[in-house]
Amino acid sequence: MSLPKPVMRGLLAKRLRFHLPIAFTLAITAAIAFKFTVTEPRKKAYADFYKQYDAVKEFNAMREAGIFESVRPSGE
Amino acid sequence: MAHPSQLGFQDAASPVMEELLHFHDHTLMIVFLISTLVLYIIVAMVTTKLTNKFILDSQEIEIIWTLLPALILILIALPSLRILYLMDEINDPHLTIKAMGHQWYWSYEYTDYEDLGFDSYMIPTQDLTPGQFRLLETDHRMVIPVESPVRVLVSADDVLHSWAVPSLGIKMDAVPGRLNQTAFITSRPGVFYGQCSEICGANHSFMPIVVEAVPLEHFENWSSLMLEDA
Repeated sequence: MSLPKPVMRGLLAKRLRFHLPIAFTLAITAAIAFKFTVTEPRKKAYADFYKQYDAVKEFNAMREAGIFESVRPSGE
Repeated sequence: MAHPSQLGFQDAASPVMEELLHFHDHTLMIVFLISTLVLYIIVAMVTTKLTNKFILDSQEIEIIWTLLPALILILIALPSLRILYLMDEINDPHLTIKAMGHQWYWSYEYTDYEDLGFDSYMIPTQDLTPGQFRLLETDHRMVIPVESPVRVLVSADDVLHSWAVPSLGIKMDAVPGRLNQTAFITSRPGVFYGQCSEICGANHSFMPIVVEAVPLEHFENWSSLMLEDA
């Protein structure tokens, strides 16, 4: 009894048909992952920071800490 | 200022720098997309002995790998041009300061109302007080009012220098005989550091820039004091 003829053509095409969709899916997943782990949190962090930001309070805290040279702490 | 082992940009202290940060994130996302795709394809191609020896052309794939990169480039170019025009908007500055590069220090001139000018030398390491930053501190800082549009005219006295403050998103070449203009608004009060960004000789690394943003009344007090001392 003879063996069935093995597949001898289209092997690379078959490999590409298998791997290319995975490649594109992985690439898009990486982009989406970066967007939602880095890009969006950073935008939100800046928005949240300035939403509650009190410039006068922060300035006074920095002034009392002595980091400015043009404005000395109020005790000096 | 930068901190040790820092990889990303410094925290933004101006609206333009915030936009640049978000643009960088957007572009880096595209870079990761392309890099993942290419790396996967490379690994898939080197882990097989299969090759197509008879392929001559393929219109379909040529169209795909022309249109897709073109689309990606458009997706990068549109936000880039938006920021470029944002940086050039007429912003009606409240204050104009001239920053002159010398070997090896910066000098600042506030000549809108009175003639105020001073030099800004780096504080040598041996003269630093505790809490000060090595190679970044200067004896006189460029003080500006916070949340006010400021125009800086940058030039140089001798060789090329470059006036850069990363957290404000500014870098402008100081060219002898040329006046370059840049403008910015600080979003919050604080002290922002930069360094000369164009090789200018032996002490190129030792002519830093320090911008101090304080409320207007304190800026006015400071400028009055500086004029008295001059």
